Amino acid sequence: MSFKKIKEVIEDGDIVILYLNPNNMHPLEVKEKISNKKGKIIDNVFNTAYGALRVVSLIGQKYGSKVELTRGWAYVLQPTPELWTLTLPHRTQIIYSPDISFIIHLMELRPGSIIIETGTGSGSLSHALIRTIRPSGHLYTFDFHEQRVSIASTEFEKHGLSDFVTLKEKDVCLEGFGEELKHKVDAVFLDLPHPWLAVEHATVALKKAGGKLCFFSPCIEQVQRTCTKLICEGFIELHTYECLQREMNVQYKLLPILDLECLKHKHTTEDIHKNRKEKQEEKLLTVTQSHSLPGHTGFITIAVLPPTYARKKEIHLQCRNSDK
Amino acid sequence: MNAVVEDTCESVEDVITVGTHVIVKKQDFSKIYKVSENGILMLGKNQRVEMQEIIGKPFWSTFEMVPLSGNKGTFTLTLTDEIEPWNDLKGELSGCDNRSITDDGTSQRLSKEEILQLQEAGKTGKEIISSLIENSKSFSAKTEYSQEKYIKKKKNKYFKFLTIHKTSILLLHEVYFKRKHEKIGGLRMDALAQMLSYSDVQSDGLHLLYSNGFQGLPAAAMINRIGTNTSGYLINLHPGNMPQTTFIEAMNFPQELRDRHLAVNIYSFLRLHYQGESSIIDNISKKVVIKDTEESHDTEKSSEESEGETMNDEVSETDMEVSELETEIKENGTLLTSDTGEDNSTLKRKLESEEPEIEAAKLKKPKKSANKLKWLLETKRAVDLLSSMKARGLTIVAKEHPLQIAKALLPFLGISRPFVIFHAHREPLQETYMELKQKRNVINMKLFTNFLRSYQVLPNRTHPDILTNDTSGYILTGYLVE
Ligand SMILES: C[S@@+](CC[C@H](N)C(=O)[O-])C[C@H]1O[C@@H](n2cnc3c(N)ncnc32)[C@H](O)[C@@H]1O
Repeated sequence: MSFKKIKEVIEDGDIVILYLNPNNMHPLEVKEKISNKKGKIIDNVFNTAYGALRVVSLIGQKYGSKVELTRGWAYVLQPTPELWTLTLPHRTQIIYSPDISFIIHLMELRPGSIIIETGTGSGSLSHALIRTIRPSGHLYTFDFHEQRVSIASTEFEKHGLSDFVTLKEKDVCLEGFGEELKHKVDAVFLDLPHPWLAVEHATVALKKAGGKLCFFSPCIEQVQRTCTKLICEGFIELHTYECLQREMNVQYKLLPILDLECLKHKHTTEDIHKNRKEKQEEKLLTVTQSHSLPGHTGFITIAVLPPTYARKKEIHLQCRNSDK
Repeated sequence: MNAVVEDTCESVEDVITVGTHVIVKKQDFSKIYKVSENGILMLGKNQRVEMQEIIGKPFWSTFEMVPLSGNKGTFTLTLTDEIEPWNDLKGELSGCDNRSITDDGTSQRLSKEEILQLQEAGKTGKEIISSLIENSKSFSAKTEYSQEKYIKKKKNKYFKFLTIHKTSILLLHEVYFKRKHEKIGGLRMDALAQMLSYSDVQSDGLHLLYSNGFQGLPAAAMINRIGTNTSGYLINLHPGNMPQTTFIEAMNFPQELRDRHLAVNIYSFLRLHYQGESSIIDNISKKVVIKDTEESHDTEKSSEESEGETMNDEVSETDMEVSELETEIKENGTLLTSDTGEDNSTLKRKLESEEPEIEAAKLKKPKKSANKLKWLLETKRAVDLLSSMKARGLTIVAKEHPLQIAKALLPFLGISRPFVIFHAHREPLQETYMELKQKRNVINMKLFTNFLRSYQVLPNRTHPDILTNDTSGYILTGYLVE
């Protein structure tokens, strides 16, 4: 239930984030036994570079506290959607926090929003979406991959989020989002290989009062194709963005200082000695940037569907014909 | 059209009502407007638009600006169904071959009279601009970038349709970022969006924000994410007499939600928390005799700020109340410094010279004692809230050096909870990073900046937008531990 509300103390069944350093974090499920890769039930012991941790020993400890490992220590944190995104088990490619934040902002989500997401994938985006729209909003998330749907469903359950999300196994491009969601949602988000095939279905699902459609595509061809389709369906104000977050390492750097002034005059050896001692290096607080970083994640496109009475009807018809 | 409207309006909220703030869009240009019975909207310097017509109409309605005869530069509005398709203008016109065109300086073949005739003949804005382009010898020789600029300029002039939209953080931010980005500290939407994620702001819990300036954007964006009819609170600490509230006002939040936003002076807050109520009372009386160094510093600061905000779009009544409270404190004492008096009158002058459509805040004289009580009660409420529970997240959006603020506010943050600090410059965040790291109760610290690029997507002509913004600012995030 670790995502439902703020917790102070770790309880049986929680998901905790074990923090060793920024690049070494692990989600742990706090329970006595787990099944190993071969399906055998074994004691839940987590091995780190600093020694082993018997996971049940965390019960009763405070979130944010330091835990002893055999050869060092680590911290345990309550997961936030951001920590979860960084540590979750990948079943697919996932969307990361910088893009997620931007998507939520562009779709103008807030508590109470009713939204559709497809595909669910590894649930990285879903966790952040749910945080934004609960308690009165709802997320309908679709994926056509049976196993991904069932894993995500178990996760939402364990995380205490099932009240805010409905999962469905469906090929949305072929079947749409279902009669029950007709004119019910404020926003639709698409992260699948053929977003243009889901646009018509999205139009039907959006409220008559209008709404937003956002899609994430790594390739520009998908963007172009989907944008054309969106315009045909009466969407307006299309914008495509690319957002890259660059992390910097804060560090002290020692900069050697050359004394070149002293060369202008004759100096005694003593002088030179003295000068040497004075300042040869300067300590500078600065940053280093990584040598290689993700240079592209995906294009994020946002489009607005006006309320029915303000939609452009003529364009609509025109496209229908040329579409075929 | 009305029948259609009734069919699709899902609630009264979808109708434009007096007293709410709306976004007025005219092509790429948009503006915040507070709806009033006989409101006037100024477009640029010399177009006055009488806005009564929009009252009672559904959002998204389009209105045509009709010149009022005998009153140059004044327009009334009429509701219309017609929406001109504009997106394709550049595409249609700039694709042609320009080998035969030489620019001889007299680029526009149409005379002023001819253009006027086109207008009078009832040609649409698009038709007029198309003729202008067709008759411009130099247009096709221009770079795509300057073609864009040309069209934009002409559009502003000849496009006569307005649409009215609900305000939202996205749209309000856009209004400011496009035209007055310095007023929101250059805070770009990707950075804003990330702060809202990293702060873990949501419908539940107590959220702590320090923000100075930015027109109240960070607070409004957080309140928006706390949402109506939920259990969350926002405590918004600020260093002056009055927090800026332009964005908060413009979001039309219901009272129930506004009541869960506590805007409190950070000095009063910390003093009350650490020294108790008596010291606050002491301090108020002391302040008028000997000027308390901190507090007088604030006063100077906030008056300096209102100096910089000569065009502050909205000055809410609450702002006035607080500044009057300040005057009152000074008047009650024995010492009334002359410069304070002056500051106040300049402020009032400014308020009176606001653009007309803003409907300059009516200077009500509220009950003074009630106000003093309100201010103290609000601070007490914040202190009580934060002693009953720790903050779920801490957000600092500062122009000041964030280190002292972070150090002062981290003790109010829950263990295992995140903080996020935005600053326009990298150096103060580096220093904050190092100091906090040495204190060893903060982990997973990350400093980053963002790159945002927008794209023109058109068949066969997709490319990054030519103009981009490179003032992303810097963000420091981390988690508090034991
Ligand atoms: C890249 S993943 C989504 C990742 C997700 N956004 C996240 O952050 O974890 C794409 C998912 O879409 C699903 N998918 C692809 N085409 C689909 C379709 N037509 N209907 C439903 N799901 C589909 C795939 O099974 C896959 O799990």
